[in-house]
Amino acid sequence: MADTRAETQRPRNLGSGQVVLLPAEPIAEPTEDRPSSYRFTDPGLSELPIDALLEELLNRIQEALEVDTVAILLHDTESKQLVARAAKGLEEEVERGVRIPLGRGFAGRIAAERVPIFIADVDHADVLNPILREKRIASLLGVPLIVEGELIGVLHVGSLQAREFGQADLAVLQMAAARAGPAIEHARLSAALQHEHDVSMLLQRSLLPKRLADMVGVKVATRYLPAREEVGGDWYDVFELPRGQVGVVIGDVVGHGISAAALMGRLRTALHSYAIEGHGPGRTLELVDRFVQSLSESAMATAAYAVFDTYTSALHYATAGHLPPVVISGGEARVLEVTPAPPLGAFPYGRCPEHELSLESGEILLLYTDGLVERRGVPLSTGIEALAKAVRDATTPEDACASAIADLVPVVGLNDDVAIVSLQSAIVPNELHLTLPAEPRTLSHVRRVLRRWLNERGADDGDIAEMTIAVSEACANAIEHAYAPSPATFELHGWANNGDITVTVRDDGHWRPPRGHNRGRGLSIIVAAMDDVQIDRTAEGTEVVMRRHITGK
Amino acid sequence: MSLADVQITLVPNALIAHVTGEVDMSNAEDVGATVIRATPNEAQGVVLDLSGVDYLDSAGIYVIYGMRASLQARGQALILVIPPVSPVYDSLRLAGAERPGEVAEEVGDALAIFDSAPPPGT
Repeated sequence: MADTRAETQRPRNLGSGQVVLLPAEPIAEPTEDRPSSYRFTDPGLSELPIDALLEELLNRIQEALEVDTVAILLHDTESKQLVARAAKGLEEEVERGVRIPLGRGFAGRIAAERVPIFIADVDHADVLNPILREKRIASLLGVPLIVEGELIGVLHVGSLQAREFGQADLAVLQMAAARAGPAIEHARLSAALQHEHDVSMLLQRSLLPKRLADMVGVKVATRYLPAREEVGGDWYDVFELPRGQVGVVIGDVVGHGISAAALMGRLRTALHSYAIEGHGPGRTLELVDRFVQSLSESAMATAAYAVFDTYTSALHYATAGHLPPVVISGGEARVLEVTPAPPLGAFPYGRCPEHELSLESGEILLLYTDGLVERRGVPLSTGIEALAKAVRDATTPEDACASAIADLVPVVGLNDDVAIVSLQSAIVPNELHLTLPAEPRTLSHVRRVLRRWLNERGADDGDIAEMTIAVSEACANAIEHAYAPSPATFELHGWANNGDITVTVRDDGHWRPPRGHNRGRGLSIIVAAMDDVQIDRTAEGTEVVMRRHITGK
Repeated sequence: MSLADVQITLVPNALIAHVTGEVDMSNAEDVGATVIRATPNEAQGVVLDLSGVDYLDSAGIYVIYGMRASLQARGQALILVIPPVSPVYDSLRLAGAERPGEVAEEVGDALAIFDSAPPPGT
């Protein structure tokens, strides 16, 4: 150690089996004899995606230092290893996914000790990576990649001829490292963010109902618009419940990204489960609140849930910290009164009061999330009024969704995601004209349509129950007749006249006499339930005409 | 959504099958078969609770008769729970088959019938 200056000026080869730790000195400005250093500050580089950027950097390093190999290994913090990421002349390193433990070998020591290392004679040095030997590399020079104090990897160059890398070489390599480090980190970060965005988007999409089943008595339309930056936790669902009821829910999980999307999936399942147990909207939301309270992670969410009875047009609804639903009727849109209830997961034993109204034939219920009406610096009530104004002329659920989005959603830069569910109490025609597939599962569909239609015609519960059995039995007969090779259908017509309800069921199959106990019983049910029954059997098929006078409600 | 649901409860002497939802030609046979399959040989019989059924058609009535026949063949009884004001009662009345077997108004009454009977094998 005679001359410290000499030590700092140039890296040395300490001979067989040894490496030199170069002092971490401030690097001198590149000298004119190495004009190539500008290559690493070229602003055009930052425009490149990560792989192209690394490729370009490696090319420029190789050219500037006139070396045979260049490699970048990245630090995997999980495994505490360096993983080969990009290489020139050492492509096998990347292909074989070479991993070097921190602290061991050439690159491992550079990373662990965060110092440049020069090896003049690879054959006699502590080099772990067999590829370096296989390639017969004679000399190596490597530097750590450090960004904001964090080790992110190692950059090294190699020469097939024994070579003394000097201080100027080191300066160039460090300049390249200073350039590559932040670029890699930035690209990794945005790739991770993009990945998270993609995953949460995928999760969100997979958790929202794909296609809403065709439901009797309602028409439904939905929209989901993801936020530009982050996927939020907006969700909705529409499902059938026993006894002709339809559940419709919208919710918003506090937070963004994967965890919000995952929680929303759990809430959707929990709510649906409580709903099919037969709980009303208020109690269902209370149970979902208890569910959220029971989660180990702290979570909060808002929701509005309504149950529409397609037989009676009754709509029961409740909200938990959510914006009030809107009802569109005859060119008017009104914001429903709701008793405020805390968000799900906010307070122990939160109560969710339930409200009821009649959603008449043609009226539209609109549920939405705050992303639709919330704008910076504008009171929420103004946003809700704007929504009511936007949708008041809607005559279908599709209309309502489209108008709301057209008027309220900015063309660019949606800051929060938006979900809308719109449900219309389907318009019930005065006369029924249905052509139905001759399959057993059609029967429950027929009964739903018929109950709603009879209710609209003013039939009371007793009338509805007995006529429904009779018509369903007549349809069952038509389905039994229809053992034709081709896909068979049958027709159902219904009309009202002076308090008389007439329903006809016509098939094109051949009448078979009642067989056994069962079918004879079906016919006796029809006869017992209706005032007048005629069965016309022709070569073309069978028509059952049933009439009953209704006493009315 | 499935049209009907069957919930099975085993008690010492019997199997209780609570049926809810709608039973028609599309699912009646499945409902009946589910109950028969679940019935252990040791049971004195089956309590078929129809108080939660919203709709029963002639195919459903036919299956009830079939269930009674197959249980009888195994020396087991079928007791139906049908409240006097219920959709199932309406269907049976219209079909002229008010009592398609032994009928109780509540599950407790039905179980009492089994409890009062001597256990099998004595």
